[in-house]
Amino acid sequence: MAEKTDLRELLKPYSDEWVALSEDSSKVVGVGDTPKKALEQASSRSEKNPILTRVPEHYGTYIL
Amino acid sequence: MTIHLKLDYRKFPAEPCEAFPRRRSASRPVVPVSLINKNKKVRHLSLIDSGADLCIFHGGLGEQIDLKVKSGKKLTFFGIGGIQQTAYFHDIEMEIGGWKIPCYAGFSYDLDIPYGVLGQVGFFNLFRVQFNYGKQRIELWSKDRN
Repeated sequence: MAEKTDLRELLKPYSDEWVALSEDSSKVVGVGDTPKKALEQASSRSEKNPILTRVPEHYGTYIL
Repeated sequence: MTIHLKLDYRKFPAEPCEAFPRRRSASRPVVPVSLINKNKKVRHLSLIDSGADLCIFHGGLGEQIDLKVKSGKKLTFFGIGGIQQTAYFHDIEMEIGGWKIPCYAGFSYDLDIPYGVLGQVGFFNLFRVQFNYGKQRIELWSKDRN
């Protein structure tokens, strides 16, 4: 399954939330303020293998 | 047997700023990994970060795989800007590109970046890593563990 790797448009509407993406990262299947809530929403939409990510409040620059 | 994986960079939104006024996106070596504890598994986007000493994930993800996060071995570490943070380490398994590897990973509720972190111990000690920003490609080769 080809994974979508450009997540710019998909994640832009969210801020300071956990987001569950579909297995191929093509759509958002769950959102919540905790991983649990985002995964519960994904599960209620029968998404079997979601990918979690956290969306920051601001999209900054990281120097690690 | 050597494992060879080819993975792609991911593009994230970025806000323009004075130094980079036309910046709208950031490409990062962020890949999906599964964190596994017994029969519980959670998939999470994680940054391959050669500057990190260890592998660290958000504490909420540890809860999702039924870890009693704060019962783990405690480590104080310093994140961006030298801010002191706490992580609790557990033996878990990590799955990347369909390959499962043991990982002594930290879980922290203080983590100030949106990704899990794949650092030197737990990741770079197991894989030879090649970044190709031009091709937006990351290649991993497993190292002999014998």
